[in-house]
This record gives sequence, structure tokens and C-alpha cells, in this order.
Amino acid sequence: MSMALPPCRRTKRCGSCAPPEPVSALLVQLLSGLSGASSLFLVAAGLTVIFGVTRVVNFSHGSLTMLGAYLGWSILTRLPRGPEYFVLGIVLTALATAGIGALIEMLLLRRIYRAPELLQLLFTFGIVLVVQDAAQFLWGPNDLPLPRAPWLRSFVTIAGERVPFYDLVLIGIGPLVLAALWLLFTRTRWGTLVRAATQDREMVAALGVDQRRLFTTVFALGAGLAGMGGALALPDASANLQIDLNIITDAFVVVVVGGLGSLPGAFLASLLIGVLQSFGIVLFPQATLVLVFVIMAAVLVVRPNGLLGRAPAVARGAGQGFAAIRPAVPLLLRLGAAALVLAVLAPLAVGPFVLSVMTEMLIAMLFAASLHFMMGPGGMASFGHAAWFGIGAYAAAFAVKGLALGMGAGLLLAPLLAGVAAALFGWFVVRLSGVYLAMLTLAFAQIVWAAMFQAVEITGGDNGVLGVWPAPWAADRRVFYWLVLALCVGATLLLRRVLYAPFGYALRASRDSELRAEAIGLDTTLLRLAAFTLAGAAAGLAGGLAAFSKGSVFPGFISISRSVDGLLMVLLGGVQSMAGPVVGAVAYTGLFDLLLLATDQWRAMLGLAIIVLVLVFPQGIAGSIHRLWLRGREA
Amino acid sequence: MLRVDALHAHYGRAHILQGVSFSVAKGDALVLLGRNGAGKSTTFKSLIGLVRPTSGRIAFDGQDIAGHEPHVIARAGLGYVPEERRIFTDLTVMENLEVGRLPARDGQPPWTPERLFGIFPNLAAMRTRPGGRMSGGEQQMLAIARTLMGNPRLILLDEPSEGLAPVIVEQMVHAIRAMRDGGVTVVLAEQNLHFALAVADHATIIEKGRIAWAGRVAELQADAGLRETWLAL
Repeated sequence: MSMALPPCRRTKRCGSCAPPEPVSALLVQLLSGLSGASSLFLVAAGLTVIFGVTRVVNFSHGSLTMLGAYLGWSILTRLPRGPEYFVLGIVLTALATAGIGALIEMLLLRRIYRAPELLQLLFTFGIVLVVQDAAQFLWGPNDLPLPRAPWLRSFVTIAGERVPFYDLVLIGIGPLVLAALWLLFTRTRWGTLVRAATQDREMVAALGVDQRRLFTTVFALGAGLAGMGGALALPDASANLQIDLNIITDAFVVVVVGGLGSLPGAFLASLLIGVLQSFGIVLFPQATLVLVFVIMAAVLVVRPNGLLGRAPAVARGAGQGFAAIRPAVPLLLRLGAAALVLAVLAPLAVGPFVLSVMTEMLIAMLFAASLHFMMGPGGMASFGHAAWFGIGAYAAAFAVKGLALGMGAGLLLAPLLAGVAAALFGWFVVRLSGVYLAMLTLAFAQIVWAAMFQAVEITGGDNGVLGVWPAPWAADRRVFYWLVLALCVGATLLLRRVLYAPFGYALRASRDSELRAEAIGLDTTLLRLAAFTLAGAAAGLAGGLAAFSKGSVFPGFISISRSVDGLLMVLLGGVQSMAGPVVGAVAYTGLFDLLLLATDQWRAMLGLAIIVLVLVFPQGIAGSIHRLWLRGREA
Repeated sequence: MLRVDALHAHYGRAHILQGVSFSVAKGDALVLLGRNGAGKSTTFKSLIGLVRPTSGRIAFDGQDIAGHEPHVIARAGLGYVPEERRIFTDLTVMENLEVGRLPARDGQPPWTPERLFGIFPNLAAMRTRPGGRMSGGEQQMLAIARTLMGNPRLILLDEPSEGLAPVIVEQMVHAIRAMRDGGVTVVLAEQNLHFALAVADHATIIEKGRIAWAGRVAELQADAGLRETWLAL
């Protein structure tokens, strides 16, 4: 499931070869899939080991893989080209990334182990952004293929087919690493301590074990595995800047399918996904990603905790959740009303540029409010909210360009299709706990993104859908602004109304204690599904409006960074009140436009901002302010 | 050996310990008595560092350990057996013991699995059994054995007789006596008065986070009115 344009795997048959025999062709494809699975397994194993002990879903794990690829490239191109030096280079790369991982753990992650898990995810995404800009600065923007030594290009003949020798090497490495890890975890004192800490790290500490050293070494091991995975994939691909997000999505899928925390599960799932991708590319080149998603969904329906996973234990001594939602104070309501009056009158006073920024802010507000609805009252962490936004945008574009309907139909179809998609996807995932949900929403968004990217005939691929303009009566920027204002404010207020309706209370009850909510007769699954669907539809409406506002739709509408934008808006404003996402969206849109104008290294800047924000306010800005306010009242 | 002085601790805003003071001499056995919610478990968690005391002093072997990290306190020779036992259910009996292992101290002979199996014979037959597939009594024995592997000078036992069958309670009495013979100072929290009287020399009664009474176990045994006031339900 290469999420970006798949970099041509050079072991694949090129178009000029003679068509192969069917049976042996299957064998070659199978072997190629198994070899791809090995490097995926190394990365996923690292992710799952780190999660087991630290309870942090390490988004930056993909960045460590990418660093492994780049460092591997730098090391291997400087070494002689014999196989023994290749092994040496791989080992050196693994050690180097392990060292980097240890540094990241000691300097950064150690400070956020008690933060809410969504903030932890966001924090590690900040690291992703910084590493991306750092890698581009150090190695340049171009892909770096590894010049392959003759032994790396050699073939072995199996059943009359030429199988790349390196594929066989990779196939062997997966089980070897699994066996080595198994020995490490069951036959050494360190491994025993790690397994104990995975269950109850507080008790391990009470027995005299220094957790910090344990966490650092576990993180170093995971990082080393990630780096090794990145370097081992080099001969078949290249070091490039897309590796981080591609591999982390794959690894999330593998870890969820295999069962979070289970190494054999990760191994099985890597094989499954690797082989599936390998065959998918040949059999249904357009539908590989959908296929992966279908398999994932099927596994989760039968085994909600993955193939070999067990029900997630509540880790003792882990972080706490967010504070409760509080209704707005009258002052805030009056401020809101005043802001609304100003927003209605604004087009009479401001120029077209400010008006377009304000339109953007309104759409961002609805997007953030819909995400907040799901995360705050719904208690469902989403790392892929852009999926619904993008589906809405493409639905609107499709209504106008494909079905030749008007803007009205487009704006109707946008929330409708997004809502239906959210209901379908939600059906599989709303029962899952926080981190699983965060990983799967992310994976789903990436799959939607790649599907839009791949379905060139319908979506135009990377070129997007152009000419999605508002109806003639709304063509005037001011009229369109008023339309956006009415729909976004209306939808946001509707979400707020729902929050304080009996449904909203029931929803919050299921979030705070699923067991007790069920005991008093609430269908928590249905409640969460309804909230999920509603949030998806609202985000879809925002996406539809965005399509008409920009006049075009691109796969970028579904990118991870848009999902993260939404998260930042919500966390900036605070999860605790409905006003939070509104304020957060307005502030964030403004700040981000400034940042884009001011610097080329916006990713690193944004990443650093996220890291600092979480380090300084581990409970979110609004939570920290609220705490200060309480302290002030007590004093 | 251990001197606790005006210890205060909070859970959030709830003021659980409101000035707990007591002391234990080396080789002695002290029992903390008190009803549910009196603050016995919180006292232990504050001692081992799982709850950070808000104020007060904890002198262990002369050094102040209040507010230190749990692993530092444990390495100083304070062992802790939690009320919920907190066995590592995925780990075997031998692996559970391994997690608790710390270097020997004071030139004392270290606790080894074999020596512990002498005190807890039931465990000897299930070395490779996962902790999750043991009975409550077996888990309690394993929890104590695991903590002894750290060669503690003083051990905190939080309600070791809770929920155990009478036969097992009897074994537990012998086990605690064996521990004391091995030179370990014992502090236990209990609701089971008979058990407490069988193993301890001194008693301290906690009520609503404060010390209500302190004295010799024998005095408590003799004074029914005292028991009625502080311990009866």
C-alpha cells in the first residue's frame, strides 16, 4: 500500500518482458510480497514494542524509518560494495537511528508520558514535521536511489523463474528478527522487565526498577528496528521524503490488524498486507488500497483486537483525560453575538483578500467544530478528520462536474456522502479504544487520499477537479461569503444544540463510563456511531463549501496535514468548551497564513510550535488556563 | 528503622492523610489497623512513593525518603506488596520473581527462589505457570515472594489476608514469621484482627487519615472497648 505515487520497485517486471507463465508468476509475486513484508515488519515491530511499554503511539516512527533510509544511503554509498559491507552498513544505520531514538526519548518524549494520548500523538507529529524539514535540508529534495552492487542485482532461478536474490534475503530477515526479538524478550532479564512494564509499569517501579532507563532502551530498540527497516528497503526503492508518512500508515494498519503489542501478530499482519499489496498491484492496480481497507475491516469485525491481540489493558499510571465540558458563561455568549454581527457586516467594509481569508476561517471553524464534536463530547480521537472534509469536497465537485447539477445539489450531496461514508467506516471502528481509533482514522484518511489520487479518470488525480464554481446567484464574493457564514454558523450552532440535548448528555455519559452508561440502558455503540456520522456530515459540508470557495478540489484536501490542522485548532482552543474550536480555528487560520508568508521552513516552525505547546501546556491551552483560573479563585 | 512524621497526602483535592505519624524499630512487626477508607493503603503508597506526600517526613534508616521516586525507595530496602497484589499475569512465577530481584545487602544471605519456595511450598510446583492462571492465595504468596526477592530490610504488606481461605491465612501467618526470622522488619495493614494479633507486636489505629491510637498488640487484645470504638463496623 504505497500511499504516495509508488516509487517504481525495480524488482517488478517491466513492460517489455515477455508475459510470464501464470503459476510461476504467482510465485514470483508472492515472493516479492513476502520480501516487502519484512521491512514493514521491522518498522511495525518497533512501533508495537514502543507502544507496549510507553503507551505512546509514536507518530514519528515513520520519521525514524525515513532517517534510516537516508542514513543508510549516506553510509552505504561511502562503503565498499561487497555484501559484508552492506551488512555492516545496515548495522551501523540501525545503531545510529537507535541513538537518535534514545535522544528523542530522553529530551522530548519523557516529558509527556502523563499527557492525554491525543496530545502525545500530536507531539510526535510535531517531531515528524521537524524531521521532514531537517532531512530536506541535509539531503536535498530529490529521491536518492542506492547504486546497487552486482550481488544486489543477481537472480536465483526458482521453478524456472528468475527471483531477485535480495528478495530472498529480505524474506529470511523477517523471521530471523522475530526469533531474535522473541529470545530477547523471553530469555533476558531486560526482556522480562519490559514485559512486566507493559502490564504494570508502576508496580515495576515499586519493585526497584528504574523505568526511565527501561523506556529509553525500549525506545532505542524500536527506533533501531525502524531505521533498519528503512535501510533494508533501500535497494528496492530510494531514500525520499515521502517515506515517513507512507510507512507510518502501513505500520498503523499492520499493528492494528496484528493486535497492538503483539510481535507475532505484527509479523502475520505484515505478511498479509505485504502479499496483498504485491498481488493487488498486479490484479487490481486501481483498488489495492481499498482491498487493504476491506481486509482490515474484515479482521476487525471478527477480532476487534487484531489477529493475535488481546483486549487493551488499562495501563496503570497512564495519563488522564481532559476536563469536562462547561456551558458558556453569559459574557462569552454576548461576545459571540457581537462577533456574529461584525461577521455579517464585514463584507461591506473589507476588501476581497480579507473576505477570502474570512471565508476560509468560517469553513475552518465548521471543520474544527465537527472534529471537536467527535473528540470532546464523543470522546473519539480522530487523526483523519480530513477524510470527511475531502469526501464532501469531492462529492460537491462530482455533483457539479460529473452529474452537471447545481451548487445546491453539490452542497446537499457533500454532507450526505460524507455522512454515509462516516457511518460505514464508523460501524467498524466506534467500538475501538482511543489509540486504535486514532490510528485507524488516520489510515482511513490516507486510503481515501490515495484512492482519489489513483482514480485519475474520475478525480483527475493530482491535477484535481477544476472549475467547481458557485451558482451564478452566489458568484459575487460577498454573497458567497454570506452563504458560507449562514451555513457554517448554522451548522456549528446545530452541533452545539445537539450537545446540550439529551443525546449530548447520553453521549458524554458513554464517553465517561461506557460500562455505567450501558448499565442505565444507553446503547453506547449506537450513540457513538450517531456522533461519528454527524461529525462526518458536518465536516463534509465544510469540504463542499471549500470546494466552491476555491473553485477546485485536490487530493491535498484529504492530507494528513489537514487533519492535523483540525486537531491543532481544537487543541489550541481547548476541548473543554464549544467556543474552543471556533476561537482555535480563527486564530490558527490567521497564524498559519502569517507563517506561510514569513518562512520557507514552515513545517519545522509548525512542528517546533507543536512540541513547545505540548511541553508547556501538557493539558492543552484551555485546560491549563482553566487550572490557573481555578487557582486564582482559590487564592 | 522507619519513622513517619506528620504525613499529609491528597488525591486530587481530597485530603486523605491528615498527619499520620508512627515508627517501627528494626526487627519489629507493626500492624496498621483501621476501617475501609481510613488511609492505610494511602499511607503505604506514600511510603513507597506511588503517591507523592504533600508534606511530612519519612525517615527510613536515617535518610529522608519522602517524595523520592519509587524505584529509589525500593532500592533503599523498602519492599511493598500492594493490596491488589498486582501480579504480572503474562509472566510465569519464575519471571515474576526475576522482576523483583535486587542485589543482596548488608551481608545478609539473599532471598532466592529456592529459599522462598521453602516458605511458600505451593509456588514450587508451579514455576512456569503464568501469574494470570493462579488462585488468589497463590497470587498473594507470589506477590510477597516477589517483593522479598528485592532483599528488603522492611516490607509493607497491604492486607495480605484479604479474601483468602482460612487454610491459606494460616500459611500466611507462618510465612510472615519466617520473614521476621530472616531479619525483615514488617509493617502490615489489616482489617482482620485475629491475623494481625497473630503476627504483630505493635498496633497503630488509623481513622479518617489520623492516628487514633497506638500501643502494644496485647493491650488491644485486652481492651474490648477500644476495639469497639475504632474497629467495629
